Amino acid sequence: MDIDDILREVDPTFHSVPREKRDLQDLTRAWVAERSAPELLPWPAGGLFERINDRIKRQIEKVEEMTGDMDPKTNFVLIVIQTELERFKFLVRSYLRARIAKIDRHTLHYLSTDDLRARLSEMELAYATRHQALLHNHYLSSFLSSFPPSLQNLNDTSGNITMIDAPDLDAAVFIRLLEDTVVQGRGVDADGEMDGRESDIVILRWSDAKPLVEAGRAELV
Amino acid sequence: MALPLPPGLNHAEVAFLAEMEMVTVVPRQRLESIDLLSGKTPPLRPPHRAELPLWLALLLKKQRRANIVPPPWLHPSSLTSIIHRETKEDPITFSPPPPPPAHANPHSPGTARRLHEEANLSSPFLPSCTASAPAGYLPYHWLEVAEALLTHAGDDMPAAAGDVRSLLRDLVEVRAAKMRSSTSALEGFGGGLMSLRGVGAMELAESRGFVLGVVDGVRKIGASAEAARREEEEMGGGGGEESDEDMGI
Repeated sequence: MDIDDILREVDPTFHSVPREKRDLQDLTRAWVAERSAPELLPWPAGGLFERINDRIKRQIEKVEEMTGDMDPKTNFVLIVIQTELERFKFLVRSYLRARIAKIDRHTLHYLSTDDLRARLSEMELAYATRHQALLHNHYLSSFLSSFPPSLQNLNDTSGNITMIDAPDLDAAVFIRLLEDTVVQGRGVDADGEMDGRESDIVILRWSDAKPLVEAGRAELV
Repeated sequence: MALPLPPGLNHAEVAFLAEMEMVTVVPRQRLESIDLLSGKTPPLRPPHRAELPLWLALLLKKQRRANIVPPPWLHPSSLTSIIHRETKEDPITFSPPPPPPAHANPHSPGTARRLHEEANLSSPFLPSCTASAPAGYLPYHWLEVAEALLTHAGDDMPAAAGDVRSLLRDLVEVRAAKMRSSTSALEGFGGGLMSLRGVGAMELAESRGFVLGVVDGVRKIGASAEAARREEEEMGGGGGEESDEDMGI
């Protein structure tokens, strides 16, 4: 900490959010969004996950060092650090598990085009590819091999009927508006439009909400 | 390995989220700044107030290292005025959420500016449960924070915990009735949009399954009618109203 940091801390006009807090906010928002959205969302850009994983790793090392000296004063600090560590680990784990659940359900869909593949992280892509290959091999060895070769594929799209299951993009979601903006939604009887105000909670279809969420004007809740 | 839960946050996850809300504490012991993953905590020096996340404040409270300053909206007078607004002034919609926090703009003195404009913070990272939060507005995580404070810091409440609790119960009932009546509006969910301004996180988690189920059900039942309407709108262009009448026959 140098003199600038100290000055900034006591300056009432300076209201910047520190990097760590912003990362936590981004992680929390990504987790809530992933838990609520019907489809897999893009892997967070900007190295958010690498940063958080890195920091968790360093914090664990620190805990290991601190457990060495059993001074009652540092003992409480240790409890606080470990509690927070567990909260972070829960967030990360729940986020990744929610993504794996979606990948498991619609593996072929997310592997079918390059755009969809780009949403997966490197690890997830490897997992999905191997998972799908294992499954297909299993099907082949147990029953598909007795079918004619033209019927042995799992991604047949002929006759306007696709074999690839896709998530329901029209499923309803709740969003919160982060700024005043016009919200449009398609309905059964009519298409609606409203002038949304900040912190409005709106129910609408995910396909209508998606542009707002991607532009950062709204978030899933 | 994969998460077996249905989409949407459940109650436990909402409560987890609410524990990230910032609250104001009055420390009773000195505690140096702790280097946490979410940034350094402020050093605690009694009797100076400090802002901490709820989970940490509760931990300190349980060890009798600090007292929690209840947020102004939890005072009985504030709760009474909110109940009055919910029942008398506006018996249909929820009371409005707190206004976004602002601070003085150093670049043009005399004007106010939004707090953290660039970071686009939202609940639970807005200071909506600290001592500086406005009274008379219920923040997004009001029920969870109030419940946690009453359970673990009942002696820090501005009034007897029982009084605050009974006011909160009134509020929960009034708002639950509103949530139920808003679902009857879902029946004709034809417009594709519905606003629930001011609703709380727990109330949303409570009725999420039902509301989303109804909306999705209406969509699936009306899918063919909707497709037909879209087709006609595309064909007819301007003559949308006539085609609506045709469809009714």
